[in-house]
Amino acid sequence: MKLTTLSSNKHFQTWFKSPWTYVTGAILLSIFQIATIGSTGGSWGVTGPFATWGAWVYQAFGGSVDHWYFFSTESGQASLQRTFFTDPASVRNLGVIIGALLATLLASQFKFKKIKNLRQVAAAVIGGLLMGYGARIAFGCNIGALYSGISNLSVSGWVFALFMFAGAFIGSKLLVKYFMA
Amino acid sequence: MAEYELDCLGEACPVPLVKTENKLKELAVGDTLIVIIDHSCALKNVPEWARKQNYDVEVEEIGDGEYEIFIDKTA
Repeated sequence: MKLTTLSSNKHFQTWFKSPWTYVTGAILLSIFQIATIGSTGGSWGVTGPFATWGAWVYQAFGGSVDHWYFFSTESGQASLQRTFFTDPASVRNLGVIIGALLATLLASQFKFKKIKNLRQVAAAVIGGLLMGYGARIAFGCNIGALYSGISNLSVSGWVFALFMFAGAFIGSKLLVKYFMA
Repeated sequence: MAEYELDCLGEACPVPLVKTENKLKELAVGDTLIVIIDHSCALKNVPEWARKQNYDVEVEEIGDGEYEIFIDKTA
């Protein structure tokens, strides 16, 4: 009898193991964006909740962000009133992490990756801080400002795209300069 | 017909791809390059790029989330 393992199964390969095409991803993202707007009344965003979480933590320690310009909008004020599980964007972020973990486990690709050098750590920390700060002063990241912006037919999304390409171009030059050794 | 290894474990995109491109430039025709990766997006863009160059490409899973990409520099 021929022994067949799960990893050689055709359907397992197609659905769980092999990366899906960019077109499949684009179609799914579009469908989920429509579902997001339909069910929560707002577009998909990722980094917005980070600021809200920061505010919640700050408030838990007795701080007040009531007079901060960032939270002065109606939606900003509303987000402060919610809790993690009543805030759709926060729950969605948790879902993204759980979903990614599930996908990597289903594909048997889960792995703790070793850190190669200190430069990687420095780049991750500095890059993360710059991305987080940049996303907030731009009122959106590549999801909230770019993807949701464009899918809502807003010109701002295209402007964001233009400058994001400029940033990616400079970033890739830096990467080749500092990380190819 | 020499064989070279390129250890890209722990490296994220696009580092494995750029390293592969650079390394293959150094190789002679007929040589084989084995790129070892553990980043799923390198699993997509490294073989894709190599096939576009008309190199023979084979991918082998060596462990959970670890892969060896065999690239024959055919021309």
